[in-house]
Amino acid sequence: MHTSEHSKTAEKFIVPIGPQHPALKEPGHFEFSVEGEVVTAATVRLGYAHRGIEKGTESRNYVQNLYLLERICGICSHIHATAYCLGVEQLAEVEVPPRAQAIRELVAELERIHSHLLWLGVAAHEAGFDTLFMYSWRDRETVMDILEGLTGNRVNYSANVLGGVKYDVDDEQSKAIRQGIDFLEERTHHYLDVVTSDPVFVQRTRDIGVMTADDARRLGVIGPTARASSVGRDIRIESPYAAYADFPVKLVLETAGDLEARFVVRLKELFESYRVIREILAALPPGELTAKRMPRKIKAGEVISRVEAPRGELLYFIKSNGTDMPERIKVRTPTLCNMASVLTLTVGHHLADVPMILVGIDPCFSCNDRGVILQHQDGHDHWNWERLRQFGIDYYAGRR
Amino acid sequence: MSLNLETTWQAALEKVKLWARVNSPWAIHYNSGSCNGCDIEILATLTPRYDVERLGIKLQGSPRHADVLLCTGPVTLQSKERLHRIYEQMPEPKFVVAVGSCAISGGAFQGCYNVVGHIDQVIPVDVYIPGCPPRPEAIIDGLVKLLGKLQNPATEMVS
Amino acid sequence: MLKPWSAETNTPQANRLDVVIGAADLVTAVAALRQAGWGYLAAITGLDLGVDAGRMEVLYHFCEGAAVLTLRVMIDRETAVIPTLCNLIPSASFFERELIEMFGITVEGTPNTDHLFLPDEWPEGVYPLRKDFQPNA
Repeated sequence: MHTSEHSKTAEKFIVPIGPQHPALKEPGHFEFSVEGEVVTAATVRLGYAHRGIEKGTESRNYVQNLYLLERICGICSHIHATAYCLGVEQLAEVEVPPRAQAIRELVAELERIHSHLLWLGVAAHEAGFDTLFMYSWRDRETVMDILEGLTGNRVNYSANVLGGVKYDVDDEQSKAIRQGIDFLEERTHHYLDVVTSDPVFVQRTRDIGVMTADDARRLGVIGPTARASSVGRDIRIESPYAAYADFPVKLVLETAGDLEARFVVRLKELFESYRVIREILAALPPGELTAKRMPRKIKAGEVISRVEAPRGELLYFIKSNGTDMPERIKVRTPTLCNMASVLTLTVGHHLADVPMILVGIDPCFSCNDRGVILQHQDGHDHWNWERLRQFGIDYYAGRR
Repeated sequence: MSLNLETTWQAALEKVKLWARVNSPWAIHYNSGSCNGCDIEILATLTPRYDVERLGIKLQGSPRHADVLLCTGPVTLQSKERLHRIYEQMPEPKFVVAVGSCAISGGAFQGCYNVVGHIDQVIPVDVYIPGCPPRPEAIIDGLVKLLGKLQNPATEMVS
Repeated sequence: MLKPWSAETNTPQANRLDVVIGAADLVTAVAALRQAGWGYLAAITGLDLGVDAGRMEVLYHFCEGAAVLTLRVMIDRETAVIPTLCNLIPSASFFERELIEMFGITVEGTPNTDHLFLPDEWPEGVYPLRKDFQPNA
């Protein structure tokens, strides 16, 4: 394979895993150096989902780019579109009506809910806790129904247009959303309970993958991963966009910095999402859904658009040149920032903890796009993710 | 497709094999570079609301035990090799289902560097399920059509 | 704080400050930011100003709360070289790897120069985000 920055020591082997992950459903390729069962070094190889999107944006006009950028990631498609629209609207100096901004925030929070529930299920699956996976995904269907009712699609909802939103919320939908949220809130209390008290979970998350606040700052982590280590970075609060100034969320912080804290932060964030959705529904500003006029040619300029995706800060840098096609669009996704922390955190941990540590940052490979190698002194040992995951489950089952 | 030389017990064996395959196809899923939209809808088919396992379709991890390959994504250059390898590792008879617009034609990513485009340029495809992403119902519909194809070898079953 | 090194400053948006600095001053400027504990490195953007312009620009975005500071470094397109920030900010490695493979910029001293996103078999010397690269349809 390509790099290994370590020469062979007494008994070191490297476990390659990937690029096909039955559990994560996303390609990626990691390389772990292991001594006995403890990880001594880690590298990552991304690129399996690299589709050349940034280059692609340069040959599509702004409207076409909206549809392209929505598909960077199926899980956080709306937030990508929102970041993009906010940026282009700023460049064009177009003011978006408040009702549209509020609806954008509404859909963004609904997306956060679906993403966190999805993640909870996947994380549970990684821990061998398939019951929780089934339950959380079943409950997630509630939010998928809401999104479908609002926008017509379960995934890639395409609610944004340049200048506003496409879909409105009427009273009946409002009622359905409220009912759905009430149900989910009750379920979330249950999940929080499970995650903090179930022995299977706690064994695999408490005091594992600990990252101090200083480490978090040094490693440049963001999003819920940082908030679990008391680093209060949340773009919705630091730099409110869309309607967050009118309908703010509160910062959710945990101090333990371990895997358990990362679970707790995301679940507690769900409560904030539920609350803010109710607020928006109760006070949705009246008015238009789109700006009066959105130019096709965007005047030259540069803009930086930052939003809080479910995984952390998403940054768009857009440079326009006066035509109807952008000069350059750069997308920096949250998982790229958090990935470095995985490589550092896994060192010193048992191989069995690796799946959970990775899932703890809520990796989105298509947002970044990336496989695992275990290196033996006498050669490579190729594992696939399923084997690593099972290894983790068996290891802990044996310890109970 | 029956030879005159085929003995009756061989024919019976074929019937049993077919019944087993139709009633319990084992599927493997591969993401060749998709945005995950299709993949999460495939996962959703396993969950209680859609519950594809009651149709006997089981999603598992190794290509060597699989009858059906569910493939998503517009095939990035890095995935092309791996996709080939997975296909080769599957024992005959094997079937490929291309899930999503990207798998069928490259979708929104046509013309992007690093993207091959259609899965059928890399491996032969039996069933195409369009959508961006296709709903779980559409995926199940596609899989049922595949089972229909299995049951009816007369309809161009390619070996 | 960055006055000693800034060649030019600009405020394109209310919360943004752009500071143009020379490649030679980059590391010292970033060290000052780290010393003062201001901001985190949010992204590194490469900009190809075109074959005719003969230059490329590298933007370093630092964020603190709502404020975004961008350090802009202009480099020559042919001999594109820039020093690494990895000694100060280890997590810059991913961003720098992307810069190297997409623009063909040499980042001196960066610990890992493997491809991050591009396949291993990608031809040497072909940089996708440069303006003269045209993907074949």
